[in-house]
Amino acid sequence: MSHLSRIGAVTAALLVCCWAPATAGAVQAVTLHTSFSPDKLGASTTVGFSFTITNASGGLPSPLTGLSLHLPAGINYVATTLGLSICQPAALLAKGLAGCSPNSRLGFGSALVEVPFGTGSGHEIPEIQALMGPPHNGNIVVLFYANGQEPVYAQIVFQGELVAGSNALGGDLNAAIPLIPSVTNGPPVSILNVESTIGPSHLTYYKHVHGKKVAFHPRGVSVPLRCPRGGFPFSANFSFLDGTSTAAATVVPCPPQRRR
Amino acid sequence: MLFLSFKRGALTSFGVIACVAVLGVLASSAVGSIGSPPARAARTISLNESGHLHRTSSSGLKLNEQGSASGTIHGTIYIHLNVVSPSRVTAEVNIYPSGGSLTGSSSASYRVNGGTASFSGKMSIKRGTGTYSHAHGSGLSFSGTIQRLSGSVTVHLSGNMTI
Repeated sequence: MSHLSRIGAVTAALLVCCWAPATAGAVQAVTLHTSFSPDKLGASTTVGFSFTITNASGGLPSPLTGLSLHLPAGINYVATTLGLSICQPAALLAKGLAGCSPNSRLGFGSALVEVPFGTGSGHEIPEIQALMGPPHNGNIVVLFYANGQEPVYAQIVFQGELVAGSNALGGDLNAAIPLIPSVTNGPPVSILNVESTIGPSHLTYYKHVHGKKVAFHPRGVSVPLRCPRGGFPFSANFSFLDGTSTAAATVVPCPPQRRR
Repeated sequence: MLFLSFKRGALTSFGVIACVAVLGVLASSAVGSIGSPPARAARTISLNESGHLHRTSSSGLKLNEQGSASGTIHGTIYIHLNVVSPSRVTAEVNIYPSGGSLTGSSSASYRVNGGTASFSGKMSIKRGTGTYSHAHGSGLSFSGTIQRLSGSVTVHLSGNMTI
């Protein structure tokens, strides 16, 4: 073995030694939380969703690589006026949110990530934007834009595709999550927590009326007209870099019945 | 005068013959209307319609639209769109041209693309009234575009219909 090869082997061994313990043997546990705001049957609403990933055996969870969020039947995302413009991923990547029309915004949130050499307490990626992307195979596409500055400097665009389910107006939002490098050519960060919304809350759209630009609030997806016993079921499947996957489920409680 | 030159007997004979002839015609008409109707030639019309509609109401997943149709026939058009899945709609279409009406149904694919949503599929003419009481047809092309913000719809319908 040449000198260079030995150095390479040692370096590789060190990298494995230093990276692997953080996620080796990781068994990820995920808690999922969803909400409707407002939670009123048939009403335009903002869907909130968040998930927290932990490593059941301690240490950092394996980096997230895929997410499939199953929506309950009856959510009406056809009558919504969200996503009146299409955001092109290249423009989003080049110029950030300024590269896309305000009328393409669908929601926003934040994430907490941890670098493999970090303290474990996590670092916030304060800006996650959800925007309407170009449709794929006739399906609605949601673009997610994550803008991290310090210590994780990353501007990442990835997309989720809304695939029709067997239930009326249910469906799955399927997203492949790219690995977020901690440093250039470094190991990927672990996602600890993500919070985001899809809905009109805090969004302003614009339209032209008689030549004037007028601001308005878009109409969100609608809460189903009927609430199943036990609430509106959401569930999600999470895939990780270590090849494991796990599922999580939650419900949005039925709204209180009005007294007549 | 010519009339006065006829003899009484000749006039009587002419009247009898005329009555018999008229009765014969009436009788044959009566028989015809009770037994087999006179053959009504089915006619095929090549429809090529465009419609411009505005939303009148919406309820849940149903959109109700009203407007005007022009092309082969002209009249008021109503469309009831029912979004049955994120990628599929069904539609009932009613057109009220002069002298009757047409009713058709369609199942179409549906896709959202920013500020518009489009649908495309096939339509069947199920029934009609008045001039179009025998209307039927299938496999007609049916497509349209919905302006998501305003709710206005443009539709195109083309194909053959028999009346």
